Amino acid sequence: MPDLQMKDIFKEFPGVIANDNVSLTVEKGEIHALLGENGAGKTTLMNILYGIYTKDSGIITWKGEEVSFKSPRDAIESGIGMVHQHFMLVPTLSVAQNITLGLKNKGYPFYNKKKVIKEIAELSKKYGLLVDPDELISRLSVGARQRVEILKSLYRNAELLILDEPTAVLTPQETDNFFTILKKLKNEGHSVIIITHRIPEVMKITDKVTILKDGKNVATVNTSETNENELSNYMIGRSLKTFPTRKKTNVSEEYGLVLEQVGFNNKKSKKLTDISFKVKKGEIFGIAGVDGNGQKELAEVISGISKINSGTILIAGKNITKASFKTRKKAGLAYITDDRHNEGLVLDMDVSENMILKDYDQEPFSKNCIINYNVVRKETEQRIKDYNIKTPGIKTPIRLLSGGNQQKAIIARELAAGPSVVLACQPTRGLDIGATEFVRQTLIDKRNENLCILLISADLEEIVSICDRIAVIFEGRIVGIINNGADLNLNKIGLMMAGHSGETVNS
Amino acid sequence: MAEAGSALYFIITLFAASIRMAVPLTLAGLGETFSERSGVLNIGLEGIMLSGAFFSFMAAFITQNILIGVIFGCLGGLLISMIHAFMSFKYYVNQTIVGIALNFFSLGLTSFLFLAYFGRTTTVPQCPVVKPIKIPLLSDIPIVGDVLFNQDIFVYFTVFACFVSYIILYKTVWGTNIDSIGEHPKAADTVGLNVKRTRYITAIINGCLGGLGGAYLTLAMLGFFMENITSGKGFIALVVVILGRRHPFGVLFAALLVGAAEALQYRLQTLGLGLPSQVFIMLPYVVTVIVLLFSIGKSGDPAALGISYKRSSR
Repeated sequence: MPDLQMKDIFKEFPGVIANDNVSLTVEKGEIHALLGENGAGKTTLMNILYGIYTKDSGIITWKGEEVSFKSPRDAIESGIGMVHQHFMLVPTLSVAQNITLGLKNKGYPFYNKKKVIKEIAELSKKYGLLVDPDELISRLSVGARQRVEILKSLYRNAELLILDEPTAVLTPQETDNFFTILKKLKNEGHSVIIITHRIPEVMKITDKVTILKDGKNVATVNTSETNENELSNYMIGRSLKTFPTRKKTNVSEEYGLVLEQVGFNNKKSKKLTDISFKVKKGEIFGIAGVDGNGQKELAEVISGISKINSGTILIAGKNITKASFKTRKKAGLAYITDDRHNEGLVLDMDVSENMILKDYDQEPFSKNCIINYNVVRKETEQRIKDYNIKTPGIKTPIRLLSGGNQQKAIIARELAAGPSVVLACQPTRGLDIGATEFVRQTLIDKRNENLCILLISADLEEIVSICDRIAVIFEGRIVGIINNGADLNLNKIGLMMAGHSGETVNS
Repeated sequence: MAEAGSALYFIITLFAASIRMAVPLTLAGLGETFSERSGVLNIGLEGIMLSGAFFSFMAAFITQNILIGVIFGCLGGLLISMIHAFMSFKYYVNQTIVGIALNFFSLGLTSFLFLAYFGRTTTVPQCPVVKPIKIPLLSDIPIVGDVLFNQDIFVYFTVFACFVSYIILYKTVWGTNIDSIGEHPKAADTVGLNVKRTRYITAIINGCLGGLGGAYLTLAMLGFFMENITSGKGFIALVVVILGRRHPFGVLFAALLVGAAEALQYRLQTLGLGLPSQVFIMLPYVVTVIVLLFSIGKSGDPAALGISYKRSSR
C-alpha cells in the first residue's frame, strides 16, 4: 500500500487554476520527483499537502487514512516535513533553537539544552548532516542552513520529507553531499518528494517521477525506464535546446568593460574587495558563485545604483567611476536587473510606458517636454513583434504579463538604445524554460554582434553553457578567472565557489 | 559636619527619587519590550500610560481603595493596547498610525471624562497613595537601606517584574517563541506557533504593565490626576526600550539613567541657580537625546517589527 496518495486535487486561485485534478502516489522509502516548469503547480500541490493551502476538492490519504491538514502543525504531527525553497529559519536564533522551535520538550517551558543538543548530535551523525547546534543561523552557509532544515524535520519524526528546489542554491560539491544524505534517508525508510525543474538531477537521484504541466498531470514514470529527452518532452513538449558551441569569432582585443581594484563597503550590504577584470568586446564574461556572495552589489556598482569606495570602472574606454546612472547609459551600458518587479519595471504602468522608461525624455519619444505617444506606440508595436512578447495589447498593465514576457520587455528596452556593454544580472531567474532559452540566445546573438556582455548568474549550468570566460565570486572577492572550454573542470569551479582560490585548487 | 550631613541627605534623596522616577518608565518599557520582541511596535505607549493613570485614579478616588485602583490602572492600559492589537492584527492597519491615533484618543478621552466627572474645580481631587514599606533589617543598612529598601510596593514589584521578564525572555521556550515571531513570523507559523495569539498575549502584557506605569504616577507619586499627566513619559519609555536593547535589565538601567536626570532637575530647580525653570525641565529630554545619539546603529530591531503578519493566500 502506498504511503501517500493524493487524488484529483483541485485548487483554484483567483483567476488561475493551480491544480487541475492532480494525482500523486508515493511509496514508502521512495525518492519521488515532482517535475515541472515554474507555475506548473508543484509547490501549490505540496503546500496543500503540508496544510498551508486548503484544497478545493480531492482526497489525500496518508498511511491508509484520509487526512486534511488545516495547518503545517497538523502535517508535522502526522510525520510530514517540508523544506521550503526560502528557508524558514530564524536568523537570530541558534541551530538548536530553530530545530526545536515550537516544540514542547520535557521541562517546558524551560530549556533542556543538554538533552536537545545530544539528540541533535545523534541525528546529525546518523544521517551525516553536520551542524554545530550552538551556532547562530545567520552565520551559516546556505548549504548548512539546508542541513538544519532537514534536521528540523527529522527531529519532528518526519517520515515523508518534501524538499522544494533543494539544489538551487548549492555548489556542485554541496549538491553531491546532499544526494548522499538523500540516499541515507531513503535507506532509513523515509520517503522523499523533491520539487524540481532540473532534469539531470531527477535522473541521478530519484526512483520515480511525476511530471506536471500547467497544473495538470502529464505522466508518472519510473526513473530507470526513462531518459532526459523523454522527461523534457513531458515537461515542455519538446527536447531541451543545446546551445551551439561557441565559435571563436571576432573577439577583439578591445575592452568594453573594465573594473580595476573596485572596493565597495557599506554597512547594509555585502562588501566587495579588490575586484578587477576586463571584458572584451565580443565575449560573454560570466560571474559564477553561490547566491549572496556579492553578485547583487557588483551589478549595482557597475550600473551606478551604488557608488564605489575605491577603484575605477571604465565603459567603452570612458571612466564612469563617479558617473550617474544616466551618464553610464549614454556611455553604452544596458542593465538587465535581477529584480524585475522592483527595479526593472513599473508594474502598474502599461507595456508602452515601460518600454520608454529610460528614453522618455529624448527624441523621438518626446520633444519640448511633451511625449509623442504616436511614436511610442509604433516603437512598442515593433519591439513586441521583434521580441515576440505575448501581451493582450500595448496598453495592458505590465503586471498582467507572465514573467518571461516581462523579461523580454526589459531586454527589448535595454537593447533598443544600441548599447556596447550589456550587464545581465540573473537574467533567467524564475523564468520558464522557453523564456530562459530565449534570453540566453539573445545574449549569444548580441555577443556575436560584438557587444561586451557581463553575465552574473548563480546558475552554474547557465554560466557554463554560454560564457567564454568565467570568474568565480566568493565573499565579495573574485577567487579566480578561467577560460571556458572543453577542458573545463566543473569540480574546480565548485571548490572555488566554496572559497578555495584557483591556485590552491590547481596544486 | 552639618554641611556633610546635608550633602549626604541630598544624595540619598536623589537616588531614592531616581528610582521612583524610573518605575513608570521601566514598567511601561518592559511591556513594550515584550510587544516589540514579538514584532509589534506600539507607539501608543503614552496613551496606555495616560489611560492607566486616569482609570487607576478614578477607581481609587471613588472606592478609596488602592488595590482596586491598581486593577483599574491595568485595565485602562489594556483598553488602549487591545484597540491597537485589534486594529493591527485584525484589519492590518499600519501599527505606527494606530499608535499615534491612540495617543490622541487617550488624551482626549481622559481629559473629557475627568472634566465631565469633576467639572471645573479649584480644589484638586485627591486619591489615597501607597506608603513606603520598610523592609526589616535591610532598610537599617546606612544609605543603601534608605535608597533601596524604604520604597513603596511598586518599586519592589518593578524589580521583581524585571527578573521575571528576564527569565521568560531568556530562559524559557516562550521567550524563544516570542523572538522567532518578531524575527520571522512565517517560520514560526510553519512550525505551528500561533503568531496572532502570541502577539495578543504580548499586547496584553504591554497594556497591563503600561497601565501600571501610569497608575504609579497617580497612586504613588502624586495622589491626583490632571490633564496630560504623563506629559511624554510614554515616549521616553519607548526610548528607554531602544536604549535598553529590549533587554529587561537594559530597560531598567536606561530608565534609571533617565529617572536620575529627572530627579536631578527637580532638585536643581529648588537650588535657586537663577536660571529659568524650563532649562531644568529640559534636562531628562536632553539626556535622552544625547544617550540616543550614542546608541545609533546598535539597536538591531526585530526583522518583522511593525509589520502585521498575514498568511498569504498566494
